[in-house]
Amino acid sequence: MYTSIPKGLTDLALTIEKGTNAVISNRYNPFYYHGALPQFYLWVLFLSGLLLFAYYIPTIDNAYFSANLVNAWTSVDYITDKLPMGAVIRGIHRYAGDAMVITIVLHALRVWVTDRYRQYRWIQWVTGIMLLLMVLFVGQTGYYLVWDERSLVLTRMTVSAFDALPVIGPGLKAWFLNGTAITNLTLSNFLFIHIGLSFTLLFGLWMHYVRMTRPVISPPPAINYMLMAVLMLFVFAFPITSGKMADINSAPTSFDIDWFFLFPYWLMAHVDLVTYWVLMIVATILLVLVPLPNLYKAANPIEAAEVVLTKCVGCSLCSFDCPYQAIEMVPAPAGSRFKLLATVKPYRCSACGVCVGACAFDAIDLPNLLDTDVTAQIRALAEAKPSA
Amino acid sequence: MPEQKVITLICERAADLDSVCTAQGEVKEIDGLHVVKLPCSGMIQPLMIEAAMKSGAAGVIVTGCQIGDCYYREGNRMIRERLLGQRPPGLKKTVDRRRVLALWLSRPQKDRFLAEAKEFVSFVRKLPVEPAAAAKPAAK
Repeated sequence: MYTSIPKGLTDLALTIEKGTNAVISNRYNPFYYHGALPQFYLWVLFLSGLLLFAYYIPTIDNAYFSANLVNAWTSVDYITDKLPMGAVIRGIHRYAGDAMVITIVLHALRVWVTDRYRQYRWIQWVTGIMLLLMVLFVGQTGYYLVWDERSLVLTRMTVSAFDALPVIGPGLKAWFLNGTAITNLTLSNFLFIHIGLSFTLLFGLWMHYVRMTRPVISPPPAINYMLMAVLMLFVFAFPITSGKMADINSAPTSFDIDWFFLFPYWLMAHVDLVTYWVLMIVATILLVLVPLPNLYKAANPIEAAEVVLTKCVGCSLCSFDCPYQAIEMVPAPAGSRFKLLATVKPYRCSACGVCVGACAFDAIDLPNLLDTDVTAQIRALAEAKPSA
Repeated sequence: MPEQKVITLICERAADLDSVCTAQGEVKEIDGLHVVKLPCSGMIQPLMIEAAMKSGAAGVIVTGCQIGDCYYREGNRMIRERLLGQRPPGLKKTVDRRRVLALWLSRPQKDRFLAEAKEFVSFVRKLPVEPAAAAKPAAK
């Protein structure tokens, strides 16, 4: 049964999903593709980012090309004002990022509410937290790239935050600024972090999907169109504008906050830096520890499925159907009549019994619920005399 | 034969029948409807359905969570495909498909289960004992 979660929350989630099914059928229920939604927005971000990248100039002042100032801010301005559909692409890139954070948080919430984050799924939870942090940082670097006054404030705040860290602080600061002060090199570094780290997301996603048989990574086209429509609604209803161009000699103090990416800066502005780092690090560790094995193992022991070696014919059906890649087909020992033998990796097994259902030879069992016992119980129930 | 048994093979996370069952797993409202709980509907072997029929059950109700929402990711989809003959091992052709009902209900849908089960139980008990030809699969 669902354990360790307020049951009311689980029931609420299931009721909402049931209602959604009633309206748009379970084939198109976005709740059943919650993990694929941020993935879809990631592709949108890659594509729109590629188009922006073609016209973006990562400098803060560039006197080489012309008498006019050409820098990051003016190139973004050019994309927005001069390029056909440039403002739309920029808006898509911005709002798809926001949408990605929202869908990631919804994904994490649903996974938590429906109790699907612990034990054999701990890798998915931990890599998910890491991916969220990476997405947040990639998004923040996107805000530096525009190079308006907000970018300048954010850059300076980040530098002071890195400065407050012991030992690794100076190194991080030098890495972040690509030198000791904000220069042209700083912006090219930001661009590198922004693009490089977003491709590193793919590596993180691979770890997120490992051990998942047939991961659901793309929603049906109908949902994609819906997601895109919502995005376009925001793009046209609330066009993106830059602030004033950043001037290194000025000291702007306030900026509009994007709550999806910039909430750490809100925190940074309201507490001192030591408290800030302690809060961020403790929060991250707590999030990562949510599926801590010892918290749940005692209450929910998993007894991994066991193969009956004398009965297994090596047909591979259980290994195809296992949702967690816990069954590996190995060469059968010498003298066997068959070529392969199923073996269970106990640390991956969820004891769901799908392999039992897949086996037509009664060769795999859950140790605490033998299928022979279930069948015997069914027979006894079916044959029993009426109780009245 | 009004007292012929009907067996329900149900995922323990699907429709929550605890409140309407006796301690022995018999549904109080419907006479002769027994519930066998499994960790996941994906664990149901087609052999179990055949065994129930052979031992004289009038019908079998297979219940999993809503398709798309399986705690173990794919269990309900798999038993559904097995019942429909799209995934091995499938149900034997000799099993009368009219006597198998598949319901995909999430935990709060107890009432829906009772309504569907009541209709199904009275339906299978009226069926002739020797079925003519196998009808279409009953899985929804």
